[in-house]
Amino acid sequence: MPLVTATQLTKRYPKVTALDALNLELEPGVIGLVGPNGAGKSTLIKILLGLLEPTSGSATLLGFDVARQGPELRQFVGYMPEHDCLPLDISATEFVVHMAQVSGLPRAAARERAAETLRHVGLFEERYREMRGYSTGMKQRVKLAQALVHDPQLMLLDEPTIGLDPGGREEMLDLVTRVGREFGITIIMSSHLLGEIERVCDHLVQIESGRLVRSAAITALTDRRQLLAIEVDGPAEPLAARLRQLGLSVREDGRVLFVELKDEALYDAIRDAVVDLGLGLVRLEQQRHSLEELFRSPAAEQAVARV
Amino acid sequence: MSEKTAGSIYDLGYRHYTGVRLGRRHAVWALYVHRLRASFGIGRPLSSKMFPVGLAIIAFLPAAVQLGIAAAGAENARVVQPENYYRYVQIVLALFCAAVAPELMGRDQRSGTLALYFSRAIGRWDYASANFAALISAMLAVTVVPQALLFVGNALAASDFFQYARDEWRQPPAAIASGVLLSVMVAAIGLAIASQTPRRAYSTVAILAVFVLGSVIGPTLLNVSGHDVGRYSLLLSPFHVVDGFTLWFFGVSPDAENQLAKADLPGALYATTAVAVAIAALGILLWRYRRIVA
Repeated sequence: MPLVTATQLTKRYPKVTALDALNLELEPGVIGLVGPNGAGKSTLIKILLGLLEPTSGSATLLGFDVARQGPELRQFVGYMPEHDCLPLDISATEFVVHMAQVSGLPRAAARERAAETLRHVGLFEERYREMRGYSTGMKQRVKLAQALVHDPQLMLLDEPTIGLDPGGREEMLDLVTRVGREFGITIIMSSHLLGEIERVCDHLVQIESGRLVRSAAITALTDRRQLLAIEVDGPAEPLAARLRQLGLSVREDGRVLFVELKDEALYDAIRDAVVDLGLGLVRLEQQRHSLEELFRSPAAEQAVARV
Repeated sequence: MSEKTAGSIYDLGYRHYTGVRLGRRHAVWALYVHRLRASFGIGRPLSSKMFPVGLAIIAFLPAAVQLGIAAAGAENARVVQPENYYRYVQIVLALFCAAVAPELMGRDQRSGTLALYFSRAIGRWDYASANFAALISAMLAVTVVPQALLFVGNALAASDFFQYARDEWRQPPAAIASGVLLSVMVAAIGLAIASQTPRRAYSTVAILAVFVLGSVIGPTLLNVSGHDVGRYSLLLSPFHVVDGFTLWFFGVSPDAENQLAKADLPGALYATTAVAVAIAALGILLWRYRRIVA
């Protein structure tokens, strides 16, 4: 059963088309939804949750029709919105317990799960305090906790790192990774930052102007472009020439050489070449192209392709 | 916040939830209970309790006075009549509604929590209904409960408690019927108005305006218009509508100086008006929540 299917999914507003006949089929995993602001990421998430009605087309989530089977479906779904969603005059504990009950958990179970979940997201003594005094990072943790408290099969996280400083961003991404990998909960996470998607997700869906640009496993996007970075303590040109003689494609970037990594024999070839030339090997490092690099511009794409 | 050490402490292993999931009905019930508590500021800081609890106490005062008189040993001293009870506390009830309804409707709109409810099993109508039921319940606590206390007070003040209860057996059903209708109508008006805006101040003022201006405009129109049609203008005043159906339920005619006596409308018309107003207001409430962007 696919996790998500979307068929000709369209959402039109009077002035803009947020989703334009989007077709999509995704298997469970940790899925990253990427695109610039206004690309339609939030709209897609809201339609999947039943918060918005599509203008036309249909979608299923976990095998449920999002328009007709909303209440059944949403028992198994957690949602972390992009915007503020916390009542600030109550404590995190009270709020998360309430949200657990509203998700269908009996009172006792709701209390237990709320305590556990808040601990998992890293809120301790402060969970008994009014949320008014929380930092942005703590609020984001509570938002994550309320989406996780009923142990959903799927969590939809809309820009979970928004407003966080670099440290908080890292911690949030670690948490999301843990939820996806260790807790085994399927995640659909949106972000306008490719680096975040790359770090956390194993599948990438790119949307622009309400249209699907690509949907692919992240390893498929990066693996086939693995490079080996070589740095030596002498002139690099003779080494580059030697490697080219061996039929390898080499790109020089200052003192560093980049060689496409096709098989393990390359390591031996480089070692032998370095020894023959009497050079010292400073660095030999496998490099995975970052998604950022792939997406940056067509020129960057070509540069990679030239290697 | 121990940001640095957090990583090591919360690494305790995740357990999946294998217990029951009670679904939509439980979700709506949980929301109802939450809202009823919120109506009186339970589980909220003191500042949230002040108004609803203070007003509730005032709504109990007439009944408390009667109980006090009874306790003082005065016989047959019935100062507070049940059919007049809501008239004594009408402004308190309006203030209670104006304080609580914006709290129930506005908070979720302000804080953005609405999206969390609607992304769960709770539907838009479920949400509106749970809030409506909670406000009705809260209103019953400040209408029917004081009436019950008053009944006990009056009976205690009578020479024979049980004799009084036997003689006045019509009172409790009338008190309950009028209290329920009042609560439903006032709650519906309050929520219909409060749901329109996340701003608490606006909706509080608007709710009070409906009750207070109504009670001014209704009788004024009644008095300036000599026509027969003018009599119906009293139905513009929620307070007079409440008074009208309460007296009708109790089977009592209005005093001569009461505007109701002047309008001389059939009692059932007040009850019908209340029901119609409640249905219309509930319609507005549901319409609002069908369209609201979460």
